[in-house]
Amino acid sequence: MRIALLALFCVCAALLSLSLGALHIPFADLLPALFGRGDDIHITIMQDLRAPRTVLALFIGAGLGASGAALQGYTRNPLADPGILGFSATAAFGAVLALYFGQPNLVTPAALAGAGLGAGLLLAMAGRRQGATVLILAGVGIGALATSLTGLLMNFAPNPWALSEIVYWLMGSLRNASFDAAVLCGGLTFIGLVCLFLTGPDLRTLSLGEDTAKSLGVSLGRLRLLLVVGVALCVGAGVAVAGAIGFIGLFIPHILRSFFGADPAKIIPLSAVGGAGFLVLADSLTRVLSTSGTVLYLGILSALIGAPFFIWLAFKAGRS
Amino acid sequence: MSVFIENLSAGYGKKSVLNGINTAAKPGELIGLVGPNGSGKSCLLKTIAGLIIPDTGQVKIADQSVHDYAPRARARNIAWLAQDRSAAWALSVRELVSLGRAPYRGRLGKLSADDNRAVDRALVSAHCVDLRDRRFDHLSGGEQARVLLARALAVGAPLLLADEPTASLDPYFQISIMQSLRNEAQNNKIKGTNTVIASLHDLSLAKQFCDRIWVMSKGRLVANDKADIVLSDTILAEVFKIKSQNGQITRVQM
Repeated sequence: MRIALLALFCVCAALLSLSLGALHIPFADLLPALFGRGDDIHITIMQDLRAPRTVLALFIGAGLGASGAALQGYTRNPLADPGILGFSATAAFGAVLALYFGQPNLVTPAALAGAGLGAGLLLAMAGRRQGATVLILAGVGIGALATSLTGLLMNFAPNPWALSEIVYWLMGSLRNASFDAAVLCGGLTFIGLVCLFLTGPDLRTLSLGEDTAKSLGVSLGRLRLLLVVGVALCVGAGVAVAGAIGFIGLFIPHILRSFFGADPAKIIPLSAVGGAGFLVLADSLTRVLSTSGTVLYLGILSALIGAPFFIWLAFKAGRS
Repeated sequence: MSVFIENLSAGYGKKSVLNGINTAAKPGELIGLVGPNGSGKSCLLKTIAGLIIPDTGQVKIADQSVHDYAPRARARNIAWLAQDRSAAWALSVRELVSLGRAPYRGRLGKLSADDNRAVDRALVSAHCVDLRDRRFDHLSGGEQARVLLARALAVGAPLLLADEPTASLDPYFQISIMQSLRNEAQNNKIKGTNTVIASLHDLSLAKQFCDRIWVMSKGRLVANDKADIVLSDTILAEVFKIKSQNGQITRVQM
């Protein structure tokens, strides 16, 4: 029943997202237009503008939610977040590098290359034999280096326009969603999600510690590889298309645990659904709240919703 | 399951702990592994479990080196009960005991009917049927110890290694755990296949429940025999720095 409600939330959020836009399309015409029936303008708007944006929000939210749940399962710490392995920062550095050199068309491949480089560096540094602590320390180090290099590029931005473009990009947005971006991001995130779902049973066993998991036949090397590749694909693809969007991976698994229990194998797919619904809803809100002159950025709004909620959760946990 | 340990030296990373250990355990035996803190008991159990790769020598179970087993095959043959009693997430007792079936599960982690039967049997053997629907983190230390023992029993392995299963428990739970370990070895004596090795600090528990005692000191196995013979005044003085007369402790050496 609770799973059905979560899925219904996700579907309603997606329908809301599809119904929002500058041109009013009657609710009954939304789905026919999506599948190529009805008014030509409606079909073009639905297929080229709204559907890619909704699909992108669904995939990015799913990727971030599942990444957060998987990382929390691996580190056995509810405070772990996709940013902890440094991929958001390396992907953002790649994208900012493209913007710095005035190549906005290269932002997506550069961000993907950044995430890939981050994952490669992390695996090379932390190896397959090390424990969770080394992996996290290496990830935090790589992330800090990438963030400082991004700062350096902003510091030496060639002109104020380039700097403002970088700043706006870092705030995160789905305004420039396109069909091609949806296919690329959706495909990569899908592979990442499969990797993360496969870690579920091993992460459940890891609840009792690395030695007990090993004694139960869990291959920690395989688990780490699946985790790093899965998170790099989900986070890299998301950052590449929409910029830096934080907090979802941290608080979505946290909320879902209070409804569905703490089993990591269940929380990863549920966090994918919850994250997808949340990001679509947040993106819809940015469109409702943006005026013609001022744009509200998705990264800002998701943190503005997520952070107070997280503080409330921490406060509640402290009292109990 | 028979265990043979030949000329075994091992340690944590570059730190050498075990030094030239030779011993064996027969099917159906409950072995008590005793020794002062830092004598290498946990390291020996981890090396037998295949969690530490030996520097020299080897551990053989059923005539095959532990490290030649594929990870899942090894997991089905050796159950390891860790000293650490923490669980990262608020799992239910049944969920936690089901983790013992991990070596038998498929990629998606579903439990089969056989797995469910093994979990039920383990809950009965460790006396925690009544706890099965409760959250693990809401249990007392003694109840948690029994649930973790059930998790290890759920593996259904012919060799059970328990690292200080009675540490920091009150006498009721200490005896309850030891009875379960005794039954695990005893019951399977009928089948003639199972062995239990448990590290213990309480020498009287070791004496009461174990078939044989292995005494460790400074990474070496210094005695290996029945409790009455092994826990002599000499061993107590040399290994544990305890002065005793006819098994009665008089004072500790400072």
